[in-house]
Amino acid sequence: MTLHLSIMLWLPVAFAVLALVAPPRFAGRLALLGAALVLGYAVTYLVDFDSGSGVLQYVTDETWIAELGISYKLGLDGLNLLLVALTAILFFSCILWASLRQWDRPRLFYFHFLVAETAVLGALLAQDLALFVVFFDLMLVPFFFLTGMWGGARRVQATMKLVIYTLVGSLLMLTAAVATGVLAAAGPPELSFAFSDLAERPLAESSQNWIFLFFAAAFLVKMPAFPLHGWMPDGYRAMPLPVLAVFSGVLSKVAAYGFLRVCLPLFPDASDHFQTLLLLIAVASILYGSAMAFTTTEARLILGYSSVAQLGFITLGVFALNAQGAQGALLQSFNHGLVVAPALFIVALLAARASGSEDIRDMGGLGMRAPILATMFLIVAFATLALPGSANFAAEFYILLGVFTDHMVIAIVASTGVILAAIYALRLFITTMHNRTGARVESRELSLRDGLVLVPLVLAIIAIALYPQFALERSESTVAPPPTAAAELLPGGTPFAPLEETP
Amino acid sequence: MTSLKLFAWLTLLLPLAGCIAVALVGRRLPGRGAGYLATGALAGSFAAAIATLVTLTGREADEQQVVAVAWDYANTVGIDAQLSLLVDPLSVFMILVVSGVSTLIHLYSISYMASDQGYVRFFAYLNFFVFSMLLLVLAGNFLVLIIGWAFVGAASYLLISFWYRRTTATSAGIKAFVINVLGDVGLVLGTFFIFKHVGTLDFLQSFENARETFEPGDGDLTAGCILLLVGAFAKSAQVPLHTWLPDAMEGPTPVSSLIHAATMVTAGVYLIARMHPLFELAPTAADVGAIVGCLTLLIAATIAIAVTDLKRVIAYSTMSQIGYMVMAVSAGAYAAGLFHLMTHAFFKALLFMAAGSVIAAMAGQQNLDKMGGFRKAMPFTFGCMVIGGLALSGVPPFSGFFSKDEILLLIGDRGGWYWILYVAGYAGAFMTGIYTFRMIFRTFFGEPVPEARELEEGHLHHAEVHTNPATGEVEDTEVGFPGAEHHIAEREPTMKIAMGALALLAIVGGVLQIPKVVHVIDDFLDPTFAGSALYHRELGDGLIAFGLVLGAIVGVAGIAVAYLIWVKNPQIAVTVRERLAPLHTLFVNKWYFDELIDALVVRPVRWFGAWSHQTFERIFVNGLLVGGTSGVVRAGSSAVRAAQTGFLRYYALLIVVGIVALAFYFLMSA
Repeated sequence: MTLHLSIMLWLPVAFAVLALVAPPRFAGRLALLGAALVLGYAVTYLVDFDSGSGVLQYVTDETWIAELGISYKLGLDGLNLLLVALTAILFFSCILWASLRQWDRPRLFYFHFLVAETAVLGALLAQDLALFVVFFDLMLVPFFFLTGMWGGARRVQATMKLVIYTLVGSLLMLTAAVATGVLAAAGPPELSFAFSDLAERPLAESSQNWIFLFFAAAFLVKMPAFPLHGWMPDGYRAMPLPVLAVFSGVLSKVAAYGFLRVCLPLFPDASDHFQTLLLLIAVASILYGSAMAFTTTEARLILGYSSVAQLGFITLGVFALNAQGAQGALLQSFNHGLVVAPALFIVALLAARASGSEDIRDMGGLGMRAPILATMFLIVAFATLALPGSANFAAEFYILLGVFTDHMVIAIVASTGVILAAIYALRLFITTMHNRTGARVESRELSLRDGLVLVPLVLAIIAIALYPQFALERSESTVAPPPTAAAELLPGGTPFAPLEETP
Repeated sequence: MTSLKLFAWLTLLLPLAGCIAVALVGRRLPGRGAGYLATGALAGSFAAAIATLVTLTGREADEQQVVAVAWDYANTVGIDAQLSLLVDPLSVFMILVVSGVSTLIHLYSISYMASDQGYVRFFAYLNFFVFSMLLLVLAGNFLVLIIGWAFVGAASYLLISFWYRRTTATSAGIKAFVINVLGDVGLVLGTFFIFKHVGTLDFLQSFENARETFEPGDGDLTAGCILLLVGAFAKSAQVPLHTWLPDAMEGPTPVSSLIHAATMVTAGVYLIARMHPLFELAPTAADVGAIVGCLTLLIAATIAIAVTDLKRVIAYSTMSQIGYMVMAVSAGAYAAGLFHLMTHAFFKALLFMAAGSVIAAMAGQQNLDKMGGFRKAMPFTFGCMVIGGLALSGVPPFSGFFSKDEILLLIGDRGGWYWILYVAGYAGAFMTGIYTFRMIFRTFFGEPVPEARELEEGHLHHAEVHTNPATGEVEDTEVGFPGAEHHIAEREPTMKIAMGALALLAIVGGVLQIPKVVHVIDDFLDPTFAGSALYHRELGDGLIAFGLVLGAIVGVAGIAVAYLIWVKNPQIAVTVRERLAPLHTLFVNKWYFDELIDALVVRPVRWFGAWSHQTFERIFVNGLLVGGTSGVVRAGSSAVRAAQTGFLRYYALLIVVGIVALAFYFLMSA
């Protein structure tokens, strides 16, 4: 099998069309087959990837719109490899979860689901700024439909909030992207949006600054970061669960990835200029998200706010602006996706045992007849609170150490987020699984159907906890290229400040 | 792999294998099978630890520090985090104590927990706990240390909340866990301060670099060491991070024994001893450790005299004894501190086991006010309790006498303001005698209570319905709680064996190290502390003789006072309590530490949470910032509801139009 990124990228859309025309009862199975093939591809890339090389691999580069300098350029490197794998894993798990349940209008449902997968993969694989923006915006559209049509409580309001927020973000990003290409081409070279070309044509610092802010706004909304998270509570409440699991697990990471792929290499001066601002936003997200997570009683929102805090950690790592912070941010992006999806599935299972309520005050004592479910939940909860020994901890260790080097106070304040995480994660576990049984609660063990989705994800969490090196060594040479190679690759300056020599 | 490394890995991994095996097949084993399986795994671990010891002592002194690397854990961009163990005399000393005492505690639990519905779960947790502790003491670098450190915290949470239907148990569990996470964070930040300068996480390498990098008293190093102390204080229950430990008595008694004797609380002592090259370069941090240890030993001893809960008396006594150890290792008396750690593991495990036996006879009741006269009904338990009590009080020739007095001798030898610690140490020893024998006299002497009477006649009746003594709540015995049948040492051979072995060790354990006569521990630990300036000190004969005599007198005097107050003339207790009412109130309320932490930490955090939730989120996020959107939503939602998908199509179109328009605009202007 030749490895061609385009095949992996367009496979979901092909199956989406198939699901649309197939008989409704086969739609789910077709979607699952598509997602499984993508997963197979992603695993092959994970194994075949050359960790030692810092350059882009499996590159596809075709001219798309010559007049505008837009190319269809795809590639894998240390920044996106693991996120592609995460996308494949989570879409497969969520489609598996969905296909074991009944849905209204299943053909349309799976169509949107698979289109979303292609869009996410496209945004991750794109090596051209214009292509990135197109996929980034396309990525949101299926989620509007999925929320608006299959959503739960107050889905219209939630969808509109989502639309308005992301519309503003998207337009800002679009403006910024076009400006980047045009301003970079102000001299003799032709218009080009390829990242590699743009990195060679640094902009003047004043233009960098406003363009950076436009991009940052779009990414921060998507994450979401404090105080741009206004859409999150309604959105989380309304989205159907498997949709929410990919949305929370994957889409927020695309935003974090955007910082690493677009902002840091293309606007190095602005990144440096606004470093403190972004670090403060990150710390505020950590503290605020944690505080909200241990006061709210809706299980979904506990995870939603905990994601705000976790994404705060990822932003912190990105804007440490050094190799350790970036390594931590990438590892944490992978981990958070791998942890939040099973956590959301568990919330659904708990709700099913508590007469449908997702309010933790209605739960309690659920662990009693469900030792396997309780064990799964405990492992996920420990990973969420980044218990040392989990890969989440390894990532936070890298992030905090990266920040600590130059911004000691920020690192120390951020580390209190680790303590707050222990409170909200254990609170969630104890009030649902322990204590006295709630009034309308029936404790029962994980069924085979649910275990099929949950157990592999938990095993993956354990595997990466035992060997986070697997992820870290694949991103190392991209994040911190060997000095000589870096000089050749990126004459405009290395994307990440080289490590300070230790005395 | 050398045989030394192999044995060390076996010591570490056998309890983990036991945990997994018990969790997977424990339910299918007949009767007490799960307990025997878990105990077997631990016994194997202890055997491997002995093999490690033998192999290690067979080596030359300069080859006694071996690093065993399993694989690269997170080893990129200058952070050299490997999964590595450090096998040296200190870690081997610790694994022997941990695995040895834990094996006996497992043996005890086989019977003690027999009628508990959560029997299998209990042994899986117990094995995991020991694995975590072994990982902690065998860690070869800072990251693995932090992992072991946190696993111990997680395991203790599981065991404290073991009876998870009890709300008091789950809240005690979360309290222990959160304070321990605070300690983890201290450890992480301390590591950052040190890593920043030494550039490696590996212990041996970083100690070597530290000697070259740091001037004595360096600011960053002092900050790093004080943060390491925060970790040590949280785990070892030193003030003000001790409040979780008394609450942890909510767990089953073998848990108290395991946490308070062999493992967990000794971790802070081990940490300071392990980091001694750093602390010797940061004398200010070492002094902080010594002072906090001294304060803890005094405060805890005063509380132990006042509390009426049997297990909490022993818990505060543990805090106090750990205070001695922390003070010792901070003041450079490494071998003495570790020696006391070992003897304390023996007699404290024994005391808890004896207490567990009494509590079983009392059907879960732990209040000293309701006990009395068990001497005849439980002679074996009584004997064990007295042996443990004499060792704890430091009466010669029991083990605690030698270890505690060696600490005080070495601290007195340092002169200067260390004399204050020296005097405080003897004051603490006096109180130790009082509270220990107060507990013993109130439990075993006086008028026999109904339970004791029944037991003397050979039978034991228990109420059909258990209630939680703390809240009066009816216990849920379905998920794991002692059934109607109770297990006391007099009736259970495995409990007898475990307690007998510990009683023997508590009596003779002291002969390993007697000033001027025997110094087995000093010699064995020597390679680890080879570079230390404080390790090799000769004490004057006069000081030794004076100290030993004083130690013996103080211990016996404490017991005599207890006898006078609680046996001879119980009226004195009432009078003293009335005369010193304010002090008594202070001690009974545990010096108001819980209230202090509640006011300083818990309430502000809660307030911040509530403020975020009620004020900020409502006004700022949903109001101001989204005012526009909310307005649009409210105004448009009824109209849009009819054509929701139409709206979405419109949006999709808008994106496309927007892209084109903007692209044109910039192309024109370019």
